[in-house]
Amino acid sequence: MEELLLLVFLIPIIGSFLLPLVAKFSETLRNVLSLVFVLSAFACSAALVPSAMAGNPASVHFWLPMGFSFGFSADGLAVFMALIASFVGAIIVIYSFTYIEHSDHKNVYYLMVTLFIGAMMGLVYSTNLIFIYIFWEISAISCWQLIGYYREPEHVLRADKAFLMTVFGALVMLAGFVLVYQQTGTFDITEMQGAELGNAAVLLILVGLLSKSATLPLHTWLPDAGVAPSPVTSLLHAAVLVKIGVYAFARFFIFSFNVDPMWHKVVPIVAACSAIVSAGAAMVEYDIKRIIAYSTISQIAFIFLGLSINNKIGVAGGLLYIMMHSLAKGGLFLCAGVVEHSTHTKDIRQLGGLIRTMPVTAVAFLICAFSIMGLPPLGGFFSKYMVVSGAVFADSPWIATVFIFGTLMTIIYLMRVFNAVFLGTSPAKIVDIHEGSRSMVASALSLAVFSLIGGLLIYYPSEFVQTVIAQIGGLLS
Amino acid sequence: MSEWMILLPILVPAAGAGVVFLLPKQLTAIQQAVAMLTAAAGLAITILLFGRELTFTKNWVGFGIYFDLRLYSFSAMILIVAAFAFLTVLYASVYMKDRGFSRSFYGFVLLATSFVSGAMLANNLVLMLFFWEGLLGILFALVYTGGREASQTAIKALVINGCADLCLILGVCITGWQAATFTMDQISLPLMNYWTTFGFVMMMIGAIGKAGSMPFHSWIPDAATDTNAAFMAFLPAALDKILGIYFLARMTLDLFVVIPGSKMSHTMMIIGCITIIFAVLMALIQKDYRKLLGYHAVSQVGYMILGIGTALTVGIVGGLFHMVNNALYKGCLFFTAGSVEMQTGTTDLKVLGGLGRKMPVTFAGFMVAALSITGVPPFNGFFSKELIFDAALQSNVIYFVIAAAGAFCTAASFLKLGHTVYFGEAPRNLRDTREAPWPILVPIVVLAFACALFGAYNVLPLQYLIEPILGERLHHTYSGLPHSWLLPAISAVILVLAVLNHRYGVKKSGKPVGAVDHIHHARPLRSLYDYAEAGSFDPYKGVSSMLESLAIILMGIDRLIDWVYTGFATGIATLVADGIGRVHIGKHWMYVLWTLAGAVVVIAIVFGIGG
Repeated sequence: MEELLLLVFLIPIIGSFLLPLVAKFSETLRNVLSLVFVLSAFACSAALVPSAMAGNPASVHFWLPMGFSFGFSADGLAVFMALIASFVGAIIVIYSFTYIEHSDHKNVYYLMVTLFIGAMMGLVYSTNLIFIYIFWEISAISCWQLIGYYREPEHVLRADKAFLMTVFGALVMLAGFVLVYQQTGTFDITEMQGAELGNAAVLLILVGLLSKSATLPLHTWLPDAGVAPSPVTSLLHAAVLVKIGVYAFARFFIFSFNVDPMWHKVVPIVAACSAIVSAGAAMVEYDIKRIIAYSTISQIAFIFLGLSINNKIGVAGGLLYIMMHSLAKGGLFLCAGVVEHSTHTKDIRQLGGLIRTMPVTAVAFLICAFSIMGLPPLGGFFSKYMVVSGAVFADSPWIATVFIFGTLMTIIYLMRVFNAVFLGTSPAKIVDIHEGSRSMVASALSLAVFSLIGGLLIYYPSEFVQTVIAQIGGLLS
Repeated sequence: MSEWMILLPILVPAAGAGVVFLLPKQLTAIQQAVAMLTAAAGLAITILLFGRELTFTKNWVGFGIYFDLRLYSFSAMILIVAAFAFLTVLYASVYMKDRGFSRSFYGFVLLATSFVSGAMLANNLVLMLFFWEGLLGILFALVYTGGREASQTAIKALVINGCADLCLILGVCITGWQAATFTMDQISLPLMNYWTTFGFVMMMIGAIGKAGSMPFHSWIPDAATDTNAAFMAFLPAALDKILGIYFLARMTLDLFVVIPGSKMSHTMMIIGCITIIFAVLMALIQKDYRKLLGYHAVSQVGYMILGIGTALTVGIVGGLFHMVNNALYKGCLFFTAGSVEMQTGTTDLKVLGGLGRKMPVTFAGFMVAALSITGVPPFNGFFSKELIFDAALQSNVIYFVIAAAGAFCTAASFLKLGHTVYFGEAPRNLRDTREAPWPILVPIVVLAFACALFGAYNVLPLQYLIEPILGERLHHTYSGLPHSWLLPAISAVILVLAVLNHRYGVKKSGKPVGAVDHIHHARPLRSLYDYAEAGSFDPYKGVSSMLESLAIILMGIDRLIDWVYTGFATGIATLVADGIGRVHIGKHWMYVLWTLAGAVVVIAIVFGIGG
């Protein structure tokens, strides 16, 4: 078991650097190996499930002096996150095969994508704040490389913006970690279960989380990151990057520390502002990827709401939200990628009527959009319902009302995109458009199908999440 | 009988839909057969289950959210749902033949049947939401595939219904919070505190929104013109009403304690009255068969809400009876519209005429349904309307007057419609019109027969279907003839007035289609009608443009925040860098000064701390 816990992140991280070498012999082998590395993370995580569920998580600890340590643990939360990230990541890698087939720097692409997912694995299994920080920054570097992948001056500028904003947040968070160390004398999370954390440390850490998870007021880098190749945006939004912040939130503020009850009121309010402002922006934008990016900001706010209101149904909803949002948002970006790949435009004013030429993509897009809106029988319904219900049960029906309003805006902006891109008549410019390649469309559709399965078989993920929450002990009210 | 049986009304149509979707597109005949068999099986199952009591509970999502179904007198209404599904599929076998999308029509009709049955059987509020909200996607798909130009209406329908459904979600959350359970038969909340009332209002919005009451109505007339008659008869005319009104009644009867004469009761009655009168005024002036019916589909919901809103036993019985009756006659009317459209190629009243002799069965079906909706005895609409009138009069005479005015306009618009389409001489191009084929006629005849049966023999629906729902609240039966003769007398006067008005209108305008032109063009009404026809009163438009303005403001906030990073922060950085750059000029004396200044600061700090 312990070996698996190390292999789960070492294989993709070390493997990623081998990919450029492999490419010297065969590009196909490089692509396949990249997929294999990501799948190995999924397989290892899956193998860690039984022990995590039994409440007997695999763990590795090497103690170093002065409270430093090198520690990894596969508890329910970590396994849950790792499974989602590696699963969606694997589908995105498959999609990439044809998507970036004809671009330059493919070695960098596969290296960074695999490294990115490896860093995510390291981050979720780490129990040491310093290691969390290191993996955090590795992900920032991969993200920086990938956003500016096409190397156009404008793209590089936006990559810099994303890098600077998330690294700024991370440094502030690091200061927060130092305060934690000052208070507890250790960097190991397992050592500080239930520790009361001062407000200054919470605030500093929050800045890091909000910047990584693109929440108001540290969110504006995310829409700009839409210049990246579509599988990359999908990866950023669905599988790894923005989910890091919410994961860390759950890890620190639900599973580890006790914080001032004030934060259970403040974070939902920040989230509410984020949900509404970004939903408004999504209603105005014309670039399909920017719209979906604003949608991510808005949906991440729902996750923060669920995780921050300090009751079980809310936290369970928040965790399920991470899963359902990953599937559906990943699917939306992959569909947007198919559209962009075929029509060479992202401006919804220049698109239209594509449901006739790209019916499968259109249906996949619609299913994913329905899941984001929270329509049953798709998975998004349950997570959204539980989060809103959690807010009500936490005696904050007004916050719940604001989020319900945010959901109405979600319906409006997603239907606006769907209408503009797939319905109506096609502009003269985009005749002779055909469906995307088989692997691309299949990847997008599979995420839509998993969104549906996630809803129909909600019993299983919900059971999983309930076990995860049961492991928290008495930290939740 | 095994408890698993209760799953069949949900699973069988869903499985049928799955098979239909999986069949290749070209195999229309097989799709049709599968749909027909499934719908028939669904109907047989609900007949078999009728009158039984079953419960089924399984763990589901956790946190008090169980997969909990309960079959009892109220949820037995799924019988009507299954019957409608069967008739619609039968009707569609001919009607949808050349329209394209027939596969998705069958599939989604079956899915809708499954979901509506699930919502009505659910005994857990969240499970009910699951089925209820699941209808949104189905509605979108049915409207979208319903007609060539229907995509905008599909979005409109989705957004409007989505808005009502979101209110329902909030209502369910708040009610579950107040009641500390989501299990419906354990909830009975008095409307005492602020949050309970808020929860009630939110759930009520969900219920009346589903039923298509104002202000959630404006997609229905649009759908009536943009989609097809089979869809209209199935969802907006029948299933949506049944589900919405079923839940409204369940809220008033079980989930909450609503006292007659209370604020909530009046709120519902006012919504009911507004819906009755404004929708029927719009119906009055329509010159399209389907659109006219579309507005009536809205208006009739007002009667049901008015009846249930009184919170009086007679009103609730009347409201529920009206819900059943409306499904029958409105379904029948939409089917006749489809029949006429299929045989003549149009639903435009200005070109239709004299079809009574060409299409005698359709005509007979229309007559029975029209007499029912107008409230002529011995048809079913008469009895339910009288019960609602009774309850309205007991609550406040104003409600009664508005309901009566609605009845007048209903009668006037059906006189116009019937006279225009079926009487007189057929125009030249319609001379060769023939009766529709039997799969079209069977649903019409069945529904018309049911209208007559449920009127003349109203013991059947009242004592077997509706009155058991009220349980102990019921002191005596409402079946048989009306108990007082005052209300029927007033109704008779209204009908006579409507006939006189019709004769006057026809004489004045010279043609039956212009029978209400004198009302349409009357001074104060004319400009109002112009505005309404232009969509100025459409709440969807108003709210959409308000939201768009809000979105622009929010976008401004977003851009402002972005400017803090891209403009302000970089500006400050540039400024600071410039400033520092300017003092580093490479001169010796400057660095000496810097060193001295640094030394002063260090000394100051050291002494400062020391002091």
